[in-house]
Amino acid sequence: MRKNQIASNPLPDHVPPEMVRDFSLFTSPGMAPTANGDPHAAVACVHDGPPIFYSPNNTRDGQGTWVITRAKDQRTVLQDTETFSSHRSIFASALGENWPMIPLELDPPAHGIFRSLLNPLFSPQRVTALEPAVRERAVALIDSIAAAGTSCDLMKEFAFPFAVNIFLRFLGLPDDRLTTFVGWGKNLFHGDVPKRLAAAQRIVAFIDELAALRRKVPGDDFMTFVVQAQVQGRPLSDEEVRGIGVLVFAAGLDTVATAIGFDLAYLARNQKDQEWLRSEPDRIVLAAEELLRAYPTVQIIRVATKDIDFEGAPIRKGDYVSCASMIANRDPAEFDCPNTINLAREHNRHTAFAYGPHRCLGSHLARREIVIGLEEWLARIPPFRIKEGTAPIAHGGHVFGIENLILDWS
Amino acid sequence: MRIIVHNTKCQGHARCWAHAPDIFKLDDEGYILPGDIKVAEKDERLASQGARSCPERALVIDLTAAA
Repeated sequence: MRKNQIASNPLPDHVPPEMVRDFSLFTSPGMAPTANGDPHAAVACVHDGPPIFYSPNNTRDGQGTWVITRAKDQRTVLQDTETFSSHRSIFASALGENWPMIPLELDPPAHGIFRSLLNPLFSPQRVTALEPAVRERAVALIDSIAAAGTSCDLMKEFAFPFAVNIFLRFLGLPDDRLTTFVGWGKNLFHGDVPKRLAAAQRIVAFIDELAALRRKVPGDDFMTFVVQAQVQGRPLSDEEVRGIGVLVFAAGLDTVATAIGFDLAYLARNQKDQEWLRSEPDRIVLAAEELLRAYPTVQIIRVATKDIDFEGAPIRKGDYVSCASMIANRDPAEFDCPNTINLAREHNRHTAFAYGPHRCLGSHLARREIVIGLEEWLARIPPFRIKEGTAPIAHGGHVFGIENLILDWS
Repeated sequence: MRIIVHNTKCQGHARCWAHAPDIFKLDDEGYILPGDIKVAEKDERLASQGARSCPERALVIDLTAAA
């Protein structure tokens, strides 16, 4: 932690000093980009401590949060939207503005109106219909990788092009701007303040332009649906269209690609598990759930709407409350041997997609992409490992991630 | 056996449906249809697995009810 952050961010008076813990998803050991790092395992250390504590520097702009460690308590917080609001303009604040990403940053009842509008587009039934196109894309990418040689940069050549392509198609966009979009996402999630601002401006301008285009020239795609949609008998406002577009853009860029990266890195390092799935691909559906438990990417933060004493912690109105999925997913009270990755694990009510009304809208699509990505990779690439002399770089933070994942099957 | 469905707790994870789509039926938004579910004896194992997979604890297994 930098000194000026401490100075600009003193401990709130109501936080008892004995409830403060030197832990942060941004600055604790293993959170910075680390060669051969395992940031998910690194955060599991919090389970040696109390179920709730205060972290003085636990957001990307250095603010303090309460940290809820147990899955049971995270479920309580995330289900109770009256006490724990999700409206904090996380994207708009990068622009110095205040508008919600929709539906993520709306609370009920407004949340439910937009959620009902969008749910059918992301339902499990609808995702089943998208499956052939998803599989076709995975096969095309992997076949060209297999034809080109015996190693690849997994994130650059497969995970990002695959996941981002699916969501570009969903938005009704051509592939040719894929690299540009991935760059925006990288700056938005992982860049410093000026980079984040520039990326946010570009994304907003892009979404506004796309919405304007689809108003004039409708297509058979998501943005056309949004600009033509009605809620409560009226069309959506420009700010609402933007709030939805920005959320889908931001949520679709990084998360699925990262999940596939962590999953294949795990399988590259664990040949027995790789062989176990390869020999019986039907096991992949269950294994993907365990990999979602072990390698989730997102920290969810809520804002207290009133004073509440929660499991002995004096949470006050306006306090941030962190429900990090990677922490709950390693809770020994919820999962037997939480730090053991058991691809045959059956009881697995993990929180990779959160709990409560804000359960990830894209969860069903994400699941299918991950399963299809693993199925087609294992079907087309022989036993693979991390290329000798290389080291994947993993990091914690706002969204966990992995880079420089060079797989080799020579 | 009967599955008690707490609709207000369902958030559309659809884990029950993934286990047993014929037992746990979803609406067009992907959320469970209202009403408790009577389970035939032959389906009990599958229904239990589906109910126990709910991340929100929206499904409760009631063993006292005859099918």
